[in-house]
Amino acid sequence: MSESLNFLDPSVLAGLDNLELRARIVVEGFLSGLHKSPNKGFSVEFNDYRHYQRGDDMRHIDWKLYARSDKFYIKQYEDETNVRCVILLDTSASMAYSSGGTSKLDYGITLASALAYFVMRQRDAVGLITFDDEIRDYIPAKCRQPHLMHILRTLSNLESGKRTNVVKPLTDLAASLNKKSFVILISDMLDDEERVINTLQNLRGMGNEVITFQIMDDAELKFPFNEASEFIDMEDHESYITSPASIRKAYLQNLNEFLSFCRKKCQSSGVDYCLMNTAEPLDEALSSYMAKRAKSF
Amino acid sequence: MVFLTPLFLLGLIAAAIPIAIHLIRREKPPKVMFSTIRFLKKTSKKLVLFQHLQQILLLLLRSLVILLLVIAFARPLIDQSVARLLDADPQSAVIMIDLSMSMQYEDTFERARGEALDLINQMSAGDEVALIGFSEGAQLVREFTSDLDNVRSTITEMSDAGYGRTRYFPNLRLADQLLEESRFENRAVYLISDFQAAGIGTVEEGWKLAPGIAFSGIDVGLEESTNLVITDVRSPEQLLENASEQQILARIRSTGSVYLQDGDVSLLVNGQFVDRKIVDLVDRSEEVITFSTTFETEGSYIGEVRVSGDVFDADNSYYFTVDVLPKISVLTVNGEASENWYDDEGHWFGLAVAGAGQSPFELVNIAPRDLNEEVLRQSDVLVLLNVGNLADEQARVIADYVRDGGALLVAPGDRVEPDSFNSQFGSIAPALLEAQDLPDGNDYLVIADYDSRHPILRPLESDWSARFQGHWKLTPTDGSDVLMQFDNTEPALVERKVGSGSVIFFASAMDLEWNNLPLQGLFLPFIHETLRHLVQPELKQRAYSVGDSFSVNSDDRITNVSARDPSGDEILFTNNDFIMQASKPGFVTVDVGNAEQYFAVNILPEESNFARMPVENLFDSIINPDTNPIKSREVQNAQLAEELERPQKLWWWILSLVMVMILVESVIANRTYR
Repeated sequence: MSESLNFLDPSVLAGLDNLELRARIVVEGFLSGLHKSPNKGFSVEFNDYRHYQRGDDMRHIDWKLYARSDKFYIKQYEDETNVRCVILLDTSASMAYSSGGTSKLDYGITLASALAYFVMRQRDAVGLITFDDEIRDYIPAKCRQPHLMHILRTLSNLESGKRTNVVKPLTDLAASLNKKSFVILISDMLDDEERVINTLQNLRGMGNEVITFQIMDDAELKFPFNEASEFIDMEDHESYITSPASIRKAYLQNLNEFLSFCRKKCQSSGVDYCLMNTAEPLDEALSSYMAKRAKSF
Repeated sequence: MVFLTPLFLLGLIAAAIPIAIHLIRREKPPKVMFSTIRFLKKTSKKLVLFQHLQQILLLLLRSLVILLLVIAFARPLIDQSVARLLDADPQSAVIMIDLSMSMQYEDTFERARGEALDLINQMSAGDEVALIGFSEGAQLVREFTSDLDNVRSTITEMSDAGYGRTRYFPNLRLADQLLEESRFENRAVYLISDFQAAGIGTVEEGWKLAPGIAFSGIDVGLEESTNLVITDVRSPEQLLENASEQQILARIRSTGSVYLQDGDVSLLVNGQFVDRKIVDLVDRSEEVITFSTTFETEGSYIGEVRVSGDVFDADNSYYFTVDVLPKISVLTVNGEASENWYDDEGHWFGLAVAGAGQSPFELVNIAPRDLNEEVLRQSDVLVLLNVGNLADEQARVIADYVRDGGALLVAPGDRVEPDSFNSQFGSIAPALLEAQDLPDGNDYLVIADYDSRHPILRPLESDWSARFQGHWKLTPTDGSDVLMQFDNTEPALVERKVGSGSVIFFASAMDLEWNNLPLQGLFLPFIHETLRHLVQPELKQRAYSVGDSFSVNSDDRITNVSARDPSGDEILFTNNDFIMQASKPGFVTVDVGNAEQYFAVNILPEESNFARMPVENLFDSIINPDTNPIKSREVQNAQLAEELERPQKLWWWILSLVMVMILVESVIANRTYR
């Protein structure tokens, strides 16, 4: 477990060029410790068997078939394959920020690819939307294997864009969804937080499951600067000269108010919220997804 | 506030270091790309302002800490206490400022003025100061006063150095005398000078400043100097008209500490350039330059020898005068013309008057019967040689001639009848003829006494060995002067001023009959000087040195005299002596009646010698052994301050304050960044 988790270190993962490999390491590492998960299974109409894969709920193994064939098979149900997951990845300029290790965008890309890999591995349909102030890439949700490669290629070619506008892609997505879906938002949410939360609430109100991964850099969360500096906003290039030590306390207070607002509003409206520090491993994201998925079905 | 170790105050510059760092870093803050500044902008402006104030406070604290540390090391002292102590021991000080010519070298005098002002600034309010500006003598004396501002303004307004020479001892004596009248026991003499070695002059052995008088020499002279000086010019003072070419000799020396090897020397006469020559001092310490020129027509000439090639102009000119005089017309009436030349008085007299190659006289010999007013008026001097038979009319004409300014020399011989002579010339004669005195045998008289200060006899001061076998006994008349006496106390030469003229009686003859004077070497100069004295005013000295006093008028009868100094300013005389003191080199122009005369004034060459002496030499010469070791005001202040500083211990309090401030700084610094 601990050896595998080392591979989940964002800085180690960032050294891997192959995004598929990166996603697999994350997912496999995550799954190796998932057997003890208290998640209970789900049961809809039986459809087919498939081979057991690590991470599958052992409760769904068909033990009779095992007795006959000496192989593990999992019973697959009709509804299990109808889950559609749409991953929305923020590629705005602020996501390119890095205080030294992995940038928020790289972290988000790894996270998105791991989720996509994981979703596809679960034989669910997965789609991808990348955006900054407008939608840059849109890949509809599908569950075929080549589709995953398409998503990973798109993710590997991503570059940071302009300003953040989370509301627009969410609104567009809400208009296009005609079936209950998983909506995963990966963003720093440095936008008008009230409008973003309202849009997420709308999505949730439409019966979708919504998970928000708010990606923040360690420096954004701790503001470790000391020397008087000219801070330049990466999105609008506005500058502000200050001595960080003198305002650190006030900054952290403002930031925590923002994060707290996001967390509380999400929780109160049934949106799963997960704050992610780019200096921490990715398994928490996958846990969050799994827990949500387990709760939903 | 005073400081015992003020050099530490240089460390005050270090107080600027925190400010400099602050300013330098403030100019270029590093740029940091950040995801968003929305949370930075939301921070309270009051908080930022407060932090900014904290930073300024820190900056001030750090600068103040350095400042106080520096001040503590400089050992401060509240000077009011020093002033009180100094007031309790007030000082009587004489400040002597050298005004000699050498002080004109570049900015030497200005530095002396600055030193004097510094001394005044160091005085305490209760001190009294006397001021002496001196060269050879004291030129400016300001007696003791406690009004330091007044002394300060006197020093500021003091004119530049003059042309006099330096003499320390007479002026130190004056300072010593001034200090006798001083009010305070704490007495000092401050001498500000370039300390020329020549300024010592004649050392007054044994003389010292009075006991208790401290002495401080302030040397403002320059270590290096360059100078060319004309130490002497030789030129004729008087010439006769149509004289031959004359030589002007000028002696040039290099007297600065840096030896000059060449220069230009020019001769100017009446302001007109005459000649220029090069001085070559490569292998000699001085060179004599010779100029040749002529002074043909009658009149007064002014000449100047000028040297160039150095930086000190004050001694670069030497001035001289040349008076070109007309020949003196001498009318001789010979009463005993003889075919035997040795018996002929006119022969011997003529030899003396016109025998020289260039005689200043024009001699006319006539017989007594030819003497008349017309002939007389054409002559400057009438000489009666043994004339005994003049008509009364001739005697009257002669008397009138003399009263109107004419000159008469009488040498009565054996042909003169005393009664007739006395009656004809008694009104103008310096003496009456009594009787002939012809000693018997080989007896003779000699000149036993004479007035060596008289213009005739002054240059003839030697052994009068002439023997007189015959002479006239004379009875001097009122108003006459006996200039020479025989060894029997009878007058030999008598003079009398009559009206505007003069008459001289010689009591013997001018031939060999009564004496052997014509055979003596003194005969010719005696005749020349006598005639010159009768006709021309006494040869007036025309060349003087700076500092000399002289009368510009040699004729007491003339009262209408005006004079201008070398700058052209009129000289104001307070009495009819017309005595002036030469203060600057150049020509003094004098209008005597309608005539214009010139006096040349030159600097003293020794003042051009820039050789210097150590101040200690003068100190050792004049300081009294009973005087305590000199304590300058600085030393005095330092000692008093040292004594006062011990109980005050301001540095200890300052260091304590620094410690507190460092603590405060640490607290504030920990609450803010850096």
